Amino acid sequence: MTESAPKPVLRIRDLVVEFKTEMGVIRALDKISFEVMAGESLGIVGESGCGKSVTALSILKLIPSPPGRIAEGSIELDGIEVVSQPEHEMRKVRGALASMIFQEPMTALNPVFTIGNQMVEVIRVHQKVSKTKAKKQAIEMLRTVNIESPEKRIDQYPHELSGGMRQRVMIAMALSCSPKLLIADEPTTALDVTVQAQVMEEIKRLQQEMNMGLILITHDLGVIAESCSRVLVMYCGKIIEMAETGELYKNPRHPYTRGLLDSIPRVRKEKLKTLPTIKGMVPDLADLPKGCRFADRCPKVEDRCRTEEPPLEDTEGGGKVACFHPN
Amino acid sequence: METLQYAIRKLIYAIPLLFGVTFLSFILMVHFGPDLTYSILPKSATQEQIEEIRAELGYDLPFLQRYGKFMKEVVTLDFGSSTSSGEKVSSILKKAVPVSFLVALPAFILANLLGILLALYAANHRGRFPDKAVMVLAAIGMSISYLMVVIAFQLIFCTSYGLNWFPVQGWVEPPPDYPDATAGEIFYYYWYYYWSYVAVPTLASIFVALGYNTRFFRAVIVEELNRDYVRTARAYGVRNRKIMMKHVLKNAMIPISTRIIITLPFVVIAGNLVVEKFFGIPGVGLVTYDAITNGDLPIVKAVVTCTAVLYVLALILTDIVYKIIDPRISYSK
Ligand SMILES: Nc1ncnc2c1ncn2[C@@H]1O[C@H](COP(=O)(O)OP(=O)(O)OP(=O)(O)O)[C@@H](O)[C@H]1O
Ligand code: SF4
Ligand SMILES: [Mg+2]
Repeated sequence: MTESAPKPVLRIRDLVVEFKTEMGVIRALDKISFEVMAGESLGIVGESGCGKSVTALSILKLIPSPPGRIAEGSIELDGIEVVSQPEHEMRKVRGALASMIFQEPMTALNPVFTIGNQMVEVIRVHQKVSKTKAKKQAIEMLRTVNIESPEKRIDQYPHELSGGMRQRVMIAMALSCSPKLLIADEPTTALDVTVQAQVMEEIKRLQQEMNMGLILITHDLGVIAESCSRVLVMYCGKIIEMAETGELYKNPRHPYTRGLLDSIPRVRKEKLKTLPTIKGMVPDLADLPKGCRFADRCPKVEDRCRTEEPPLEDTEGGGKVACFHPN
Repeated sequence: METLQYAIRKLIYAIPLLFGVTFLSFILMVHFGPDLTYSILPKSATQEQIEEIRAELGYDLPFLQRYGKFMKEVVTLDFGSSTSSGEKVSSILKKAVPVSFLVALPAFILANLLGILLALYAANHRGRFPDKAVMVLAAIGMSISYLMVVIAFQLIFCTSYGLNWFPVQGWVEPPPDYPDATAGEIFYYYWYYYWSYVAVPTLASIFVALGYNTRFFRAVIVEELNRDYVRTARAYGVRNRKIMMKHVLKNAMIPISTRIIITLPFVVIAGNLVVEKFFGIPGVGLVTYDAITNGDLPIVKAVVTCTAVLYVLALILTDIVYKIIDPRISYSK
């Protein structure tokens, strides 16, 4: 962490993302707002379908459209408004200001081009350098992410590498143009347990070395505890709690967060592959209840929760929570 | 070099398949094929005459011997003589095959090329107006019969009801014998008459094939566009044009090239039946058409067998093309 006054690399305000589906228009994100400071790492947790990937994709305007669209709100990346940016201008943002690592290292790289070909292409999108120079940079980048004999690897095809190695290549590609923000959407979920920790180490090390903002999306609350300074909990397209990691783990305020943490087994050594489950069903985005979206599963539910939506309000712990009866 | 070895291995593996298709051709065309005895002999033929002819045609031979005889014909590419003209089948086909290629190739190349371009265009705008427009046109093209297209195009381009730009029927004749014609003039002569006879068949064939091709290619490209590597390239700022023309196209070429190669034997032989008949072009299609109507068995036998063999060879070619495009296929397979 640097001493200089932290400045947000990402500022999201009242973001609404909608999808046209057979059941009508659904709001995958409903007015979410948050910030990421330079050099800060923010974890995002939440059950499947709560909108984590949609959040990540909308930052780079990669929401598949149709059916999706950014309906309202603002996304500022390093002072640049992304939402109104025309598609051909997005090239300067993607990979350069903010970059992304995807979950599936098997399919996320193009199978019919070599690693080098794909890395050189990305480097040359953002820098006016010759192919030879770009290749040298790519080799350096592979070395940086600790790939052995990068001169050899660079001419190989994705299928010739192991899953962990492919994910390192992804990291190398994502970071090849020194972005200010790195978004990692479940970067280790598809990997072997032993490799997971190594890849996470790599991401953390590079984030610190390059002083990038990091958004880490994961199902693994343990990984968040180790890697993130702040956590954001999402539920049904809304942010329901946001706090410093220590504070959140010590003192979860939202009944949902509490439920998540309570269901983590005491023995931490055994890492969780999936988010612990809380009984009850997540409401359908096409058919949301009127009041609090968690009401059907909440142990502290009362009448007011069923008619009014709790706003996201500051807590005395310095975080925010959306609940009428926070802890 | 490795590719050559791979090709040879594929060819060796294809030998059983070649035996299979030729055996099938034998069963259908020879063993259960039509009995020509009575079309050769008058109704009043005696038993001796009948036996004589049957022996001559080889009908009295046991199964394996007939098969052996047939295989010898296949291997030496000598299918005997046409029963209607007496000309050797091999020399008839030697003349007809290049003609068929010359007629079919421009349409074949253009219909595939245009199909890929239209499919890229439609897929790039998928779900929106340009895509829908292209798909509606493709559906219309697909639903009009080949025969109607040929007749309509002939009316439009080759008669005084329409533009009357091209001859209705016929094929390039050798040039008249001018003693001092230069090579350039002779080339120009062939070039001019080639296109005047091939233009309308080409347009008609493109019209008919384009709808099918575009639909198929678009489906392949749209499927590729939904792959993760497209999202990755986009996330790192690669231009849409480059994503389409490099990333997507190369992956899509795997199924697309298969289709192109597999359709080639049919386009050149069977598919040209209609075109060659209606435009009076002396290619394999016309030869086959006439042979079928005249019951000229040796020719039909030769065409059917060669098509089957060509088809197997086309399959091998697709394997080789796969190998060149897709690095995931190892040489040892
Ligand atoms: N392409 C799409 N078409 C229609 N709806 C979509 C699409 N992508 C996402 N959604 C909607 O957005 C919601 C959030 O999806 P998202 O992928 O962000 O979930 P997630 O939190 O990343 O879940 P997971 O943990 O399973 O990755 C989904 O429940 C779905 O309703
Ligand atoms: S607002 Fe009510 S229902 Fe919603 S989480 Fe809080 S207590 Fe439970
Ligand atoms: Mg997701």
